[in-house]
Amino acid sequence: MAVAVKTQNLPLIKKIRNIPKEEYYVPGHRTCAGCGPALQYKLVAKAAGPNTVFLGPTGCMYVANASYLCTPYAVPWMHTQITNGGAVASGVEAAYQVLIRKGKREGELPNVICMAGDGGSVDIGLQAMSAMMYRGHDALFICYDNEAYANTGIQTSPTTPYGSNTTFTPPGPVIPEGKKLFPKDPPQLVIGGHPAVKYVATASVAFPVDLMNKVRKALNVQGPAFLHIHAPCPKGWKFNESKTIEIAKLAIQTGMWNLYEWENGEYKYQHKPKEYKPVREYLKLQGRFAHLSEAHIAKQQAFVDAKLKAPGIPVAIPISPPRAEA
Amino acid sequence: MAKEMELSGCAASAQAARMAKVEVICSYPIRPYTALMMELAKMVANGELDAEFVYGEGEHAQLSVVAGASAAGARVLTGSSGVGVTYAFETYSPIAGGRLPVQMMIADRALDPPGDFGSEHTDAMSCRDQGWLMGWAENPQEAFDNSLINYRIGEDHRVLLPQYVCQDGYFVSHIPGKVVLPEQSQVDEFLPPYTLPHPLDPKHPVSHGPQIRPDQGTVMDLQRAQAMLDAPAVIQEAIGDFNRIFGRNYSPFVEEYMTDDAEMAFFIMGAHTMTARHAVKHLRSQGVKIGLVKLRFLRPWPTQEVAEALSKFRAVGVVETSTSYGGAMRGGNLLHEVRASLYDVPQRPLTTSFMAGLGGEMVPLKEFYYMAEVLAKMIKDGKASKTVYWVGFEAEA
Ligand SMILES: Cc1ncc(C[n+]2csc(CCOP(=O)(O)OP(=O)(O)O)c2C)c(N)n1
Ligand code: SF4
Ligand SMILES: [Mg+2]
Repeated sequence: MAVAVKTQNLPLIKKIRNIPKEEYYVPGHRTCAGCGPALQYKLVAKAAGPNTVFLGPTGCMYVANASYLCTPYAVPWMHTQITNGGAVASGVEAAYQVLIRKGKREGELPNVICMAGDGGSVDIGLQAMSAMMYRGHDALFICYDNEAYANTGIQTSPTTPYGSNTTFTPPGPVIPEGKKLFPKDPPQLVIGGHPAVKYVATASVAFPVDLMNKVRKALNVQGPAFLHIHAPCPKGWKFNESKTIEIAKLAIQTGMWNLYEWENGEYKYQHKPKEYKPVREYLKLQGRFAHLSEAHIAKQQAFVDAKLKAPGIPVAIPISPPRAEA
Repeated sequence: MAKEMELSGCAASAQAARMAKVEVICSYPIRPYTALMMELAKMVANGELDAEFVYGEGEHAQLSVVAGASAAGARVLTGSSGVGVTYAFETYSPIAGGRLPVQMMIADRALDPPGDFGSEHTDAMSCRDQGWLMGWAENPQEAFDNSLINYRIGEDHRVLLPQYVCQDGYFVSHIPGKVVLPEQSQVDEFLPPYTLPHPLDPKHPVSHGPQIRPDQGTVMDLQRAQAMLDAPAVIQEAIGDFNRIFGRNYSPFVEEYMTDDAEMAFFIMGAHTMTARHAVKHLRSQGVKIGLVKLRFLRPWPTQEVAEALSKFRAVGVVETSTSYGGAMRGGNLLHEVRASLYDVPQRPLTTSFMAGLGGEMVPLKEFYYMAEVLAKMIKDGKASKTVYWVGFEAEA
């Protein structure tokens, strides 16, 4: 695939007060109060700016957003099936390559961004996402991770954490922990086998400047990029809608979520805690984990400990053992 | 100068794509349509065609890639066969409802089970009600012509619908036939550059495919239905221009062969029409008053033209190359629509259907002679005793 020359260099933002005022994801949507995915959408759209085309696979960021005659997108946007966001984004990018080459469109290649949920990224949408990464399209695939099939009523997805109470994993006497499986790791899926990929990063609504700069870096590279954005969902995770940011921060403080960038084969970490809090601190604020026993919590802690020690994620700071009193 | 070549249906379709200057192509391998993509890949590699050639990861992706590209403003082509056609099913309605004039070349192949490379129309027929224009080619020349004609109609802003441009696997897709390649200037005169009223362009932000309320749904369905109703006038215009510019003699919807004074006729579409013509010619030499009517567009279905063409006969045999298990006619799909078209005609012919060429079997002359015998018996008896004959599996006519 020929790559159109992209000269764009979106500048990185130093402080939160330097964030552009212009909004490209505007009011008019019907997401829940405290919706993490809606917040990250706003930040992504701000960071990307006006020369952008969004592709929106079915999910909350379609259904709760794109009501006919009042969609919140101030840049071109197109619905895709939940299955094919990566493929439709590939087609848009391919069209722009040839149209610009033939002089039928002027200016820079737009930022082509697929805004997919976890289901639309690494479950039913995995094939299309992987193929977009493999083929080297100059496009950005974002997995906004609310850790469930939210729009259909909170069913387990491959990124739903172990021990979650979802409508497909209700805890009961036979299956006391609810969800028994451990989640897929989206960025590692991308990094692991897609040589064309230029930039992969994780982000969180808890750190908006970091999030926006990662969007800009991803859009500045020529070629495919992937962002995995932690986006707490008050409805699905069962917490008070005023606590979205607090929960997002705790995920990082407990090691349930890690902020890093992967570029040219190297990892860089951001906002890494000096000392990790026990996962219990994070779990206890959320109704989806309310049924878990000590044994289940220990199992989740062991999973996080192992992940933090996994290759590619060097941990200099010792992980504190779970505290009994918490 | 226009030049004459020997080309298979796939090669002819590739030439049409080159002359239509398609801009985004998405491939995935499945026989027999694959030969189209192999030709196009060579053209792109040689520099004969300036297009993005995207390796789809499956048929669902093929349709998705070209949908995105079409929405962004590029002329697109994809294609498939058999289970590939059905694998992409989810995408057909969003493309038609999104009014994206995507073109898909289908070289028919029997669906599984069991694995069968043979041609059968069931793959494409299963997808016929989504709002795509649709029709079959009888030979490579028609495959070439239909590709250009369908771009012209589908991309017309009065229509804006995608197109399944079908040809029978192997019989058309792989058997070379004479194809007259026109001058590029003729193609350019016939086919204006592709424009979409509201492409995805950051200079003019639009939202494609928002979520609607149930009460808004009917309106959109009506608009899609209206586009199909508006298509025939545009088809007529396009065929008129095509005949003038390329020196061809197509009827837009149904084509008749030896129907003058005929008492009975075959109703047929696609590759087996060629054999049916020979059968008709031979039967005529024996004094049998038979003709044939070939369908050129299945969608939009030309109700009026079918009724007019068929009402002059006493008996009509519909040649089915697809299955409709458990359907009202107990056989294929075409007889349903043929009978529906004739319902309001005061003097209806007797009609029946013949299951022939399933699984990719040839339909030899003797099978058409058998069908003619059945039709003659119907006329003699003054009734159609059955709605379906499985040709080769019936005790007698
Ligand atoms: C082919 C198909 N299967 C199932 C659905 C039903 N569906 C609609 S939204 C949705 C959930 C999407 O989950 P995710 O991608 O994680 O996005 P979220 O809703 O959580 O934001 C599903 C399964 C669908 N639209 N299409
Ligand atoms: S269910 Fe969750 S993701 Fe969906 S709108 Fe509500 S808070 Fe947002
Ligand atoms: Mg989700």
